[in-house]
Amino acid sequence: MGKLLLATIAVILAPVIGGLVAGLDRKCTAWLQSRVGPPILQPFYDVFKLLGKSPMMMNPWQILTVWVYLVSSMLTVFLFFLGSDLLLMFFVLTIGAVFFVMGALSTQSPYAQVGAQRELVTMLTYEPLIILVFVSIAMVTGSFKVSEVFTYGKPLLYQLPLMFVVLGYALTIKLRKSPFDISACHHAHQEIVRGVLTEYSGPQLALIEIAHWYDVVFVLGLCALFWATSFWGCAILLVVTYFAELVIDNVTARMTYKWMLKTVWGWGLALSVLNLLWLYAG
Amino acid sequence: MDILVFTTVVLPFLAAIALLLLRDKGSRSLVVVGAAVVLAAASLALVGQGSFEYSPKSLLGISLDGLIMLLDFALLIVILIMAVTKLKSTLVAALTAAQVVGLVYLEFFMGHGPAIAAPAMFADKLSLIMVLVISIVGSLICVYALGYMPEHEEHLHLAKSKQPRFFFFLVAFLGAMNGLVLANNLLWLYFFWEVTTFCSFMLIAHDGDETSVKNATRALWMNMTGGVAFVFALIFMQKSGVGLYLSELLKPGFSAAGAAAVIPLFMLCYAGITKSAQVPFQSWLTGAMVAPTPVSALLHSSTMVKAGVYLVLRLSPAYSGTMLSGMLAMFGAFTFLTTSALAVGQSNAKKVLAYSTIANLGLIIACAGINTPAAITAAIVIIIFHAVSKALMFLCVGTIEQKIHSRDLEDMRGLYMTMPKTTIVALIGVVTMLLPPFGVLLGKWMAIESAAAVKYMPVTIMLALGSGLTVMFWARWAGILLSTPYPKDVPAEPQPSTVRAPLVLLAYGAVLLSLFVPFLYGGLIEPAVRSSHKAAGYIMDSLNFVSAQGIFYIYPLFLVLGVGFYLAWKAARKVNPAECVGPYLCGAQATDDNKAFVSTGRANVGYQAGNFYLSWIFGEDRLSGPINMVSGVLLAVMLGLLLGGVI
Repeated sequence: MGKLLLATIAVILAPVIGGLVAGLDRKCTAWLQSRVGPPILQPFYDVFKLLGKSPMMMNPWQILTVWVYLVSSMLTVFLFFLGSDLLLMFFVLTIGAVFFVMGALSTQSPYAQVGAQRELVTMLTYEPLIILVFVSIAMVTGSFKVSEVFTYGKPLLYQLPLMFVVLGYALTIKLRKSPFDISACHHAHQEIVRGVLTEYSGPQLALIEIAHWYDVVFVLGLCALFWATSFWGCAILLVVTYFAELVIDNVTARMTYKWMLKTVWGWGLALSVLNLLWLYAG
Repeated sequence: MDILVFTTVVLPFLAAIALLLLRDKGSRSLVVVGAAVVLAAASLALVGQGSFEYSPKSLLGISLDGLIMLLDFALLIVILIMAVTKLKSTLVAALTAAQVVGLVYLEFFMGHGPAIAAPAMFADKLSLIMVLVISIVGSLICVYALGYMPEHEEHLHLAKSKQPRFFFFLVAFLGAMNGLVLANNLLWLYFFWEVTTFCSFMLIAHDGDETSVKNATRALWMNMTGGVAFVFALIFMQKSGVGLYLSELLKPGFSAAGAAAVIPLFMLCYAGITKSAQVPFQSWLTGAMVAPTPVSALLHSSTMVKAGVYLVLRLSPAYSGTMLSGMLAMFGAFTFLTTSALAVGQSNAKKVLAYSTIANLGLIIACAGINTPAAITAAIVIIIFHAVSKALMFLCVGTIEQKIHSRDLEDMRGLYMTMPKTTIVALIGVVTMLLPPFGVLLGKWMAIESAAAVKYMPVTIMLALGSGLTVMFWARWAGILLSTPYPKDVPAEPQPSTVRAPLVLLAYGAVLLSLFVPFLYGGLIEPAVRSSHKAAGYIMDSLNFVSAQGIFYIYPLFLVLGVGFYLAWKAARKVNPAECVGPYLCGAQATDDNKAFVSTGRANVGYQAGNFYLSWIFGEDRLSGPINMVSGVLLAVMLGLLLGGVI
């Protein structure tokens, strides 16, 4: 019962956390670029404003897919805080990702079409890596359950340092940060229209933003698993990781999807194999 | 008991002969629908009976062993004559001759050991599951063919309908498959095995044009190599004094005899690999799509290819713990990864389905190779759910193709506007293949977790990469089906009931079967795993699948996702057409239908977008060669290592 309560609270709080992270993200980026930047709460202002706009869409499928995306992201976070099966969460997350792409493809807009195709390539790039991270966690703790990570007693980072880098790749892609912001990005200067989000506006765009916050909470939660033994250790790890993401975002430019697929698969697989071999021998 | 076995195995052959003789449409429909209903009912009754052993001695006073031997030779001679006269294929002729010689040697020149008291047929839960899949899914496909074939022949402008022959092979196929999964006597199994090879050859070549015959010949010789391996396995067993029965192979401690025991097992698995079109034999299955759609559906989803994995899975306890097991896992995972990659590079819908089928069969073989109770559970789950969803997808593509005269994904954009019902059914097919909480994904979850549990690193990595690729080609297909402006005035979609009914039934089946998966597991799947592996892979905890590694929620997921989907659906229904606009085109829309925008100089510029097929990396021409080479080497290494064990 306690677990269910925790998970429910997490689902309620996740958008708040996600929104704050997005706000801090903007503020830090501004600081890195010697700008003042928007207030911390700006993402919330944006979303509320979007929610208040009158809807515009091309067909009802867009509405359907957006809601399914949101539900699946919420369910993923719920399962995570329930301490459930990582692989199952990954599959539930996939529902949202697939429907999100289906929504973009359902519009006839050429920009959304290209964006959706690129989104598919990004999914193709990060999905195997996330599965491998989960498999490596299972190899260490003997289980795919999140709850087992907490009973394991040692930080996973000691045994899975390279897998954390692999997760970093997936995190960068999932956060839509350069150089992997292929399908849609926050930097106007390197964007064709709005990529996969082109045909979403108003309330639907707000829902996508909220679902994205859930996703951010989930992937940060995954990072947190690598130092699940102490609160401060976990907090420091997350802050350092996120700051590293921001720096990477600001010092790189968007690359092509071909480059992304080759590089990330190449490095991701190499690091995974090394780390797993080391576990295997150890 | 004997009446049920008779109904599932012999009745389809009798119905097939009736279909060959009765040439008018009315009696054809009557026979097919009647046979379908009787067959489905008999298969359910057979499951109700539970496991059994059965030794029919004679049919109408003729000894069955003798009869089967006679038919075996007759079949091989027919193929041999065809190979020499019609096909002019030395390869097929040589492979057939090798089997004839092998069989003659086996039957007449080898000392038969002491008679073994083993039943000629036996059914455990695994066989019964297969009978269910074959009899129900297969029958639905045959019914679909009733509506499909007249239209198919209309395009060919035949002077004389070839449907009687077509239905003869289609329905006989089901009987052969049921015989195959119920046989315990390996000579019987071999006979039915060859019948399926022959039927598939005749069905692929059905249209009679050059491509059909060429592809059919390829299917024939590839499957014939499996047949040769089968005969040699039998000779090998006879030599080492093992009785020619599956139950002999499955006796505990059989593989303790070392490599001598493993070699026939490898040969039989090799036969299964050819039958299931694993790499490097994938080309026969992708070539098989030149045949009419019901053939593709029948070959690819519920019958022929499942025979191969059935045999591999059936033998899994025998090679458990041997080197062969680990190598099969590698080989299956390799097939899963490479054929998923090939599917990404295809815009031809039938090819995508074919490659996806081979990938799933590879996954099943990988599970058989992992060989833990959990993995075997995964294999059976995938067999069941893949059959239903894939049959559905194939029938959808066939229906779509008859309407739009193309099987290219790019031509399916906005299909909802012309074929709303079929589109929804196809979407159900995609979703049940790809997403939780549906059955295929449950199987995939089991497969990855069991691979991780035994720490098969290369297998796990290949499964992870393959999964990512799978998502890519399914998701984009689902997306472009919906690519429409605001759907107003969507016309109703007329369809013959023999087409509509199987589609709708399979769509319901795909969803409802997943909904009842805990009960299916408790009633059929778990007993099947228990009987072969002495332990269950999963315990059910309030109807969720729980293992030492993890947990898969069934009903909580169905509830949350179902409610979420319902609310999403309602929100989508509330859309006001006035709120709908055209796509953003970076300029003013030029026409009402949003097909162009006004560019410089008042010129109207159209636009076009296509899928990424990433052919620079996943193209057939880029990948097929290396894949065939690597997989060929893998098979050779397997054989070499096993032979090395003997010498």
